[in-house]
Amino acid sequence: MNENYDTDQMWITMGPQHPFSHGLWTLRVKADGEIITDAEPEIGYLHRGWEKECENRTYAKIIPMADRLCYSASMTWSHVYCKVVEEALDIEVPERARYLRVIADEICRIQSHLMWLAAVGTDLGNLTVFLWALREREFFLDLNVRLCGQRLTTNYPRIGGVRNDMPYYFERDCMRCVERFEKAIWEIIKLTDESSTFVGRLKGIGYLKAKDVANWGITGPAMRGCGVDYDVRRDDPYDAYEDLEFEVPVLNKDNPMGGDAYSRYMVRIEEMFQSCEMIRQSFNKLKTIPKESPTRIKVPRCIPAGTHCAKIEDPRGESIMYLVSDGTEKPYRLKVRSPVFVNVSASRHMVKGVRIADIPAIMAMIDMCLGETDR
Amino acid sequence: MPYKFLNKYPKKFRGTGIIVPFGMAVKRMIKSTIHRPVTIMYPYEKEWVPDNYRGRPGLRFEKCLGCGICVRACPTTCIELVDVTDDKGNTVKRPQVNIGRCMMCGYCAEYCPVDAMTTTTDYELAEFNRKDLIYDPHRLAFEGTNEMMEVHISEHLLSNLAKGITDKPVAFFETDRPVLDDTKCISCQKCAKVCPTSAITMVVVGTNAKGREIKHPIIESSKCVSCENCVINCPKAALKIKEVL
Repeated sequence: MNENYDTDQMWITMGPQHPFSHGLWTLRVKADGEIITDAEPEIGYLHRGWEKECENRTYAKIIPMADRLCYSASMTWSHVYCKVVEEALDIEVPERARYLRVIADEICRIQSHLMWLAAVGTDLGNLTVFLWALREREFFLDLNVRLCGQRLTTNYPRIGGVRNDMPYYFERDCMRCVERFEKAIWEIIKLTDESSTFVGRLKGIGYLKAKDVANWGITGPAMRGCGVDYDVRRDDPYDAYEDLEFEVPVLNKDNPMGGDAYSRYMVRIEEMFQSCEMIRQSFNKLKTIPKESPTRIKVPRCIPAGTHCAKIEDPRGESIMYLVSDGTEKPYRLKVRSPVFVNVSASRHMVKGVRIADIPAIMAMIDMCLGETDR
Repeated sequence: MPYKFLNKYPKKFRGTGIIVPFGMAVKRMIKSTIHRPVTIMYPYEKEWVPDNYRGRPGLRFEKCLGCGICVRACPTTCIELVDVTDDKGNTVKRPQVNIGRCMMCGYCAEYCPVDAMTTTTDYELAEFNRKDLIYDPHRLAFEGTNEMMEVHISEHLLSNLAKGITDKPVAFFETDRPVLDDTKCISCQKCAKVCPTSAITMVVVGTNAKGREIKHPIIESSKCVSCENCVINCPKAALKIKEVL
């Protein structure tokens, strides 16, 4: 036996065909027996050249492309694109469109979080959660069809407003759906939160401190679960969010250990309830705005030269678009800051010291979406 | 607005056992045995789709002008204008859509000035080869559906299509008009030839040094659909689109 031959540590490649990696990405982990000592995420399998494609399109044609950045957060991605162009043009969106955008965004947030909850269920071996969460999600996708005409690739926001006003009876249907959801989600919560197997697998793993959050640039529910009290909707309000009353769920504010995977789970569940509240308030505000008022204003095709930046709160974190325009009708450069791309870079920090079986539980809390990560 | 989930569940009760989740699953099992199923027998029954559903593009052949706005609005460039014969035997230009490339964004219907392009509720588009995915203008026709739901939308509603209502919905992009730079015009008449609505007439404004007539285009605002064909085809860039905001 060669004593110098190092056999106690080895690199294991998890992905791109591993069931825990939702999409095409690889997590290479260095394992000492069962304990992880090092990890390295590898992404780029789904690189489509999205940013370069945009340089070849006129401004209006990029909106349906922005839908394709993330399959479950399509509304927020086309919204942030419209927002950066509106900032470049320095125009105000009509008031009715501002509330419609909020409603559409919050429907998108609920259905995105339900997709995440379903994925967590399968990752932790609980297929019932998967089926129940997707059943609830179906109602919100039906609302998307009513409002925008498609389930996932919504193509709803436009530069200077939204595509169409809400259909007749949409308010009634939406409120029925939301009220039903607020009751039905408790069934899923009882399935997950009272189960010792589910909670036991999430508690005490994947710790992140507030300092790590600042160093890695983590945003979204992962950040709020670690005690950092920041939400773009509240602290830098866009559209109609400044008129709404809502609570930003923050956990582990005084915990020196920081937040674990379970706190990220709780933050997301609470966010769904707050989104329901925001939809309810937006409809109440929409009643005061006359139906004849416009939902969209006409904007010029060419955008004045300059650099502009816009950020909004994605279901996964803070999504930023940076636009460099050169005065023509096509963008010179459009940079996308994806929250998942940044969050997954902290995976090395999160999985260090845990066991291999805990990796799916930790990585599920990132809510991986490869479309926006690789672009 | 207080927390709804975080306040209701005190920390010590979390993850206490398996009895409650098991009970929930049994309850749901009994419920779903009694109630009717959530799923439907798909090929025989179909999901209800609303009127503004964005399936494949549809074309109302007799309304189309062949102006080509849809060709330029399409983000995936899946539309092209082809020569086809209409009912009267004339050769006309009409859009042909490659459904294999179409991403159902609905821009062709949104930008169409005469609402000839519509979005349809047709979503079963699989074919055995790629050639069949190219829909020629006659195949693009869609008869419309029954009245289902009225929707605030700028495109033409399918239920209206079935009822034969041809009221034009609110046009959004039609206010842009081409304007002429007199000094650049060389009286070539190309703009008058390419105009799909024959809104452009050439008017004699004088004679040049050689005694030939100088003709300038006059654009009839009521006929113009701001398709920009004249602007694109002008050899000297004398025509420019003027945006009305």
